[in-house]
Amino acid sequence: MRKMVFVAMAIVLVLVIGMVFMLVSNRIEAKDRPIIVIPKTIDSRVEFWQVLKQGVKVAAKEYNTDVTIIGTPSESDIDDQIRLVEEAIAQKPKAIVLAATDYNRLVPVAHKAIRAGIRLITVDSGLEGGISSSFIATDSYAAGGKAVDAMRRYVQGPAKFAIVSFVKTSTTQMDRENGVRDRLLNDPSIQVLDTLYSNGSEDKAYAQTKMLLTEHPDIRGIFGLNEVSTVGAARALKDMGLGGSIKLVGFDSSMNEIGFLEADILQATIVQKPFNMGYLAVKTALQVYNGEKVRPVVDTGSEVITKENMYTSENQKLLFPFIE
Amino acid sequence: MRFKSIHTKIALAFSCLILCTTIVLSYSAYRLSTVAVTDTSLDYTQQLIEQVNKNIQTYIGNMESISALSLSNADLQHYLELANPNGPEGRQLAGQISRYFHEIVASRNDISSILFAGSNGALVSDRSYEHLKPYAELITQDWYAKASETKGDIVISSSHVQHLYQDEYKWVVTISKQLPKSSPMTASGVLLVDLNYNVINDLCNQIQLGQRGYVFILDPAGDLIYHPQQQLVYSGLKSEDIPKLLQASDSTFRTEEADQSKIYTVRTTKFGWKIVGVTYPEDLIGNKRDMQLTSAVWGGISLIVALAISVLLSITLTRPIKQLEVHMKQVEKGNFDIRVDVEGTNEISKLSRTFNLMIGKIKELMNQTLQDQEVKRISELKALQAQIQPHFLYNTLDSIIWMAEMGKVEEVVTMTSALSKLLRSSISKGEELIPIAVELEHIHNYLTIQNIRYRNKFTYAIDVEPEILECHILKIVLQPMVENSIYHGMKHLPERGHIQITGRRTAGIIELKVIDNGVGMSEAQLQRLRQKAREPESGKGFGLLNVNHRIQLYFGEHYGLQFESELEEGTTVTVRIPDRLPVPILDKVAGG
Repeated sequence: MRKMVFVAMAIVLVLVIGMVFMLVSNRIEAKDRPIIVIPKTIDSRVEFWQVLKQGVKVAAKEYNTDVTIIGTPSESDIDDQIRLVEEAIAQKPKAIVLAATDYNRLVPVAHKAIRAGIRLITVDSGLEGGISSSFIATDSYAAGGKAVDAMRRYVQGPAKFAIVSFVKTSTTQMDRENGVRDRLLNDPSIQVLDTLYSNGSEDKAYAQTKMLLTEHPDIRGIFGLNEVSTVGAARALKDMGLGGSIKLVGFDSSMNEIGFLEADILQATIVQKPFNMGYLAVKTALQVYNGEKVRPVVDTGSEVITKENMYTSENQKLLFPFIE
Repeated sequence: MRFKSIHTKIALAFSCLILCTTIVLSYSAYRLSTVAVTDTSLDYTQQLIEQVNKNIQTYIGNMESISALSLSNADLQHYLELANPNGPEGRQLAGQISRYFHEIVASRNDISSILFAGSNGALVSDRSYEHLKPYAELITQDWYAKASETKGDIVISSSHVQHLYQDEYKWVVTISKQLPKSSPMTASGVLLVDLNYNVINDLCNQIQLGQRGYVFILDPAGDLIYHPQQQLVYSGLKSEDIPKLLQASDSTFRTEEADQSKIYTVRTTKFGWKIVGVTYPEDLIGNKRDMQLTSAVWGGISLIVALAISVLLSITLTRPIKQLEVHMKQVEKGNFDIRVDVEGTNEISKLSRTFNLMIGKIKELMNQTLQDQEVKRISELKALQAQIQPHFLYNTLDSIIWMAEMGKVEEVVTMTSALSKLLRSSISKGEELIPIAVELEHIHNYLTIQNIRYRNKFTYAIDVEPEILECHILKIVLQPMVENSIYHGMKHLPERGHIQITGRRTAGIIELKVIDNGVGMSEAQLQRLRQKAREPESGKGFGLLNVNHRIQLYFGEHYGLQFESELEEGTTVTVRIPDRLPVPILDKVAGG
């Protein structure tokens, strides 16, 4: 009889201790293990990543989780980024949010992270094979379609269009180009010239656009598939005095682009939402960590900015992100 | 089975009671402190929001005074009166005003720029003319248009990107005010003062409302002036209950959304902005988990302590009972020599004392019974001996021989037949109780023998009521009485005596009397005899006392022999026995 009472007491004791231990250890664990975010660069001059970082921080605060942001000084430091991911794995974080600087070369280290039991979320730029738990990015294909819709507001009827792109192998560029081309495909009155590749050089884009316009004076519209290509093309149009008469729809935003928008040389630009990207990346990482089901691809959306709507409250935030 | 012991019951009852109490207490303590902490947090939030409200009003107030100061500038008035502000005089005035504006802006880092545009085409700011966008574009902007509409009232914009200057896009809050025409001749104009958005951003950003709470600012139109998650709101990833907020006066209220609830704390500034603090109920109690933990831990500890105490208490309470039980078991096995030692004055110790007394009494009674049995056995033996004393037998046989020699055949036959019956009756059955008739038969034989032996020294008569003949009596009761009468009464009597045996029933008692008219006893002798009869163990007394003893052992103290005697007159010995026999004895008779 007495034995039974002791057993009962022992059970109660064990339960209480277990409960305390569970509560305490939960707290320690939750606090100690951060989410590591690795953008393509931590260069403070690159607005896109700065805004993404803001989104990350807001999410970190809202969901009460530690976030460490590490990154390379430049978007082209692929080896350094691989090394950073290795370091991140060593810290055993809850999750790694990665904006891969290379579609293929980051794959092995990403596999390593997944094998180590770390949840991997890719943001903005994905990885070959879609190995991450979720990919948070702008739907570039849809954005390409939006660019066409914007262009068609200025150029109706049969027309010849040109595309100035950046790097041929970039998945973002491929998706944008396919988005543009596929939207124009079913209209036989439309002719789309071969894509020009600026390889990330504004001057090259400028030169290529000039040459293109000389060769095909009947072009009615140009798509600039990224900031550099758009600004290069805009400069060419401005210098040739064709600003406004040949319509230009670009991507991304910068002071230069805004200048061209206000000068009516650039009719519209398709901007992404890096703040939402950062926020959703952290949110999704936590959801994955907590075992919730998430969508494999999350589209953060894009907006078409024109001179008319650039100063609306919503668009101001996208075009002119307030960076402290 | 195991749960039926008092010990377990007490322990269980205590445990349940304690468990309930502890849970209720811990939970209510937790609830109370939660409420207290929530209230404190809400108070704190309100104070913070009040503070933000005051700070923002101060900034806007400053801007208003700056605008008033700027507008009161005499040069500006003069500048407006010019028909062509772009003429040389206008240029010079503009230069002076610009320097004045510049000084103000340079002295304050919260002001980002000051600009004045007149309806006459006048345009002046704190920066040089070249940086400005064209006049035609500027006057289409909101700040100019709205200020012109309100005619002199201060217009405060939402936060926005200022695009007054070439290639400069700063986040600001603009206040603009129209300077009305001082006379019909002069032009009107609008003055703009830009407040660095940094100021508001920093102010709101540094406010910590719990773990996840934040502050945001709404303008009267419902536009977000500041919101840390503005882009999420615009993208529809977050939402605030703006219509409700716009209607709310200074208050605190709660909204329930799909996944969580928020607490809004609203303050309205003088110029219509709403400063809104958002807190999450679960955040208000920042250390909710700590509190839960503390309540749980202390609840657990007190539970364990209380359980331990309850177990100890139940052990303490039931130990004496168990002790008692162990002792009772021993008694069950036949050990009456034990005593239970339970100290104290409580119920259990009283019980043990009673138990001790009881055991004592039982032991005493058992001894008594043993003694009684012993005495009975001896008495019976004595009775048997008394019945046929060898002496009596020899004497009787001698008498028979003598009578035979004398040729008294008839008497020999009578005596021998009586002796034969006497012997048979005494040997035959081993029963102790016999009907009175049998006893009378026996005494008749005995008297026959004695009468012949003592040559008719006495006569006798038996006069017993017939209805008591079937009543039971101990055997060999009358013989010692009669023997006594013969030996002590008749033997020494010079003349012939008489022995009368009577028997009758009175009030449930049967009285048999042996009455003689022999020598009798003196008072002293009688006293001695009575005295002896009262002593419990008379030892080897004579037959009468043995009879008395046997009767009392059998039927109780009320019964027995009574003696009456008078010297020279005779002696009467009365034996009193109950009319009805006690039931167990009756059973024995029936069964035997």
